[in-house]
Amino acid sequence: MEILLIGILLLVGLIFGTLGSHYFGVPRVVGYILVGMLFAPDILGEQLGMKDTEWTQPLVSVALGVIAYVIGGAISPNQLRRLGWSIVGATLGEVSGAFLAVLGAVLLLGMTVADLPLWSFALVLGALAPATAPAAIVAVVHQYRARGQLTTTLLGMVAIDDALGILIFALVMAVVGSGSLGVALGTAFWEIGAALLVGGAGGFVIERLSRRFHEQSMLLPLLLGGIILTTGLAAWAEFSALLAAMVLGFSVRWFCGPHAERLFEPVEDLEETVFVLFFAFAGMHFSPAAVIDYWPLMLTYFLARAIGLFVGGGSGARLAGAPRAVWSNVGFGLFPQGGVAIGLALLLVHQSGFSQAGHVIVNLITATTLLTEAVGAISVRYGLRRAGEIGLEQAGGEAK
Amino acid sequence: MKIADWLERHAVTGVTVERNASLEEAARALLAEPECRDVYVTDAEGRVVGHLGFRRLAGVLLSAHRPTHSRRQMLERVTGGPVDEFMDRHFISARIDEHVHQVLHPHMERRVEDIPVLDGDGRLAGIIRLVDLLRAAIDPSDQSVG
Repeated sequence: MEILLIGILLLVGLIFGTLGSHYFGVPRVVGYILVGMLFAPDILGEQLGMKDTEWTQPLVSVALGVIAYVIGGAISPNQLRRLGWSIVGATLGEVSGAFLAVLGAVLLLGMTVADLPLWSFALVLGALAPATAPAAIVAVVHQYRARGQLTTTLLGMVAIDDALGILIFALVMAVVGSGSLGVALGTAFWEIGAALLVGGAGGFVIERLSRRFHEQSMLLPLLLGGIILTTGLAAWAEFSALLAAMVLGFSVRWFCGPHAERLFEPVEDLEETVFVLFFAFAGMHFSPAAVIDYWPLMLTYFLARAIGLFVGGGSGARLAGAPRAVWSNVGFGLFPQGGVAIGLALLLVHQSGFSQAGHVIVNLITATTLLTEAVGAISVRYGLRRAGEIGLEQAGGEAK
Repeated sequence: MKIADWLERHAVTGVTVERNASLEEAARALLAEPECRDVYVTDAEGRVVGHLGFRRLAGVLLSAHRPTHSRRQMLERVTGGPVDEFMDRHFISARIDEHVHQVLHPHMERRVEDIPVLDGDGRLAGIIRLVDLLRAAIDPSDQSVG
């Protein structure tokens, strides 16, 4: 029955999302989430024999591995060197700003979930904050034909900030739950060291093997096999699967050289499928009671994240020598949050020690994602217009 | 038929640019030779070190017009770089002393339209185009493909 439900979620989610976007102008993710809510275990899911969402866990782990591989392989070492200080500085500022602002705000609010200490809860929420939604930002840039330094900076930032977000999330997950500082350091050392080693060596092997497979159709099974093997090894040996998959992507890109398309394009094409499933699964976990009980937390997360991105991104860009048009507007372009944050939150649901907290976090991220999807596009457009980079208005306008 | 003989009958000179050339320079060189679909990247000694296809070149230069980008494509757009940042180092090629029928399989397998023929020093000696192979294959009087 799980296979039947996955088929329904994918197809109906896609139809709902497309229709909602076409007729009501709402983001497609709204449709995906609604379908998930409809097939939650206590609504239509039970009719299909789904009593819980435990079965989604392996799928979420593998799907996140796919996304982490794509994120890790997005940049080559040469591109990293050419990226420019203003983009690197703004990204470091944005990521640390969002993490610290949410961490501090949740600690100040003092609201946690029964099964998790406040510090751990705040750290996990902080680690989820830096992830952004590149697709939403690219859509605005394309729609308004934006060109200029802010546009370039934003595109560079949202392409690499998820990698830093995943790194922070992996670090936090390694530390959370460790009793003492010594244990935490040991766990973090193993989780990160083993992930670097396995991901790095795996990338070398996959790239070498790929030279033997000349037919394009053989590459997807090779790449998926590599990603699933890496995440499986991580689960077995208890190191960070996310980090290992990300390093796998980076390593494949490193050893492959400049023309990496053939080793990433087949997997990149799976990204939208993965995000449809993530949003639908998040909808299946939707609980009105959690949203009502934890609305102050959701509001705090939303506001603190926005402030952290704005102040952190702006300060980072300014310190790195970016012009005023960039540092004073860059924060407006970073609000959208999407599939990566939802996927990370879903990973928590079945994590030991997170039985209740994971559920609340999925609801929190789902609610704030809907909010950022709604205001994010307006905010990106405002920032680009303020910087004078909107070139061609919608509906056939003329280039300025 | 030997490839050397094929190249005498179907002389196609490929487009080459040096590895530090810009993408715009590569595009200009390619557009000046309408019958070619690929650019071959050479080192300072003229040896072919990489391949850049037309679709890849056009995809990067026109990336601003693409409605969706993967993260990889976003970073390509932002960071730019010379042709050797975009070329395929592991391209297929034929040697001048091989037989024509030996290049048909890689043509089909890799879904490429042109195969570069390299001389003993690794310099470009000519191009075997799929369109010429097809023309020869369906011509009953032409036995060159075998």
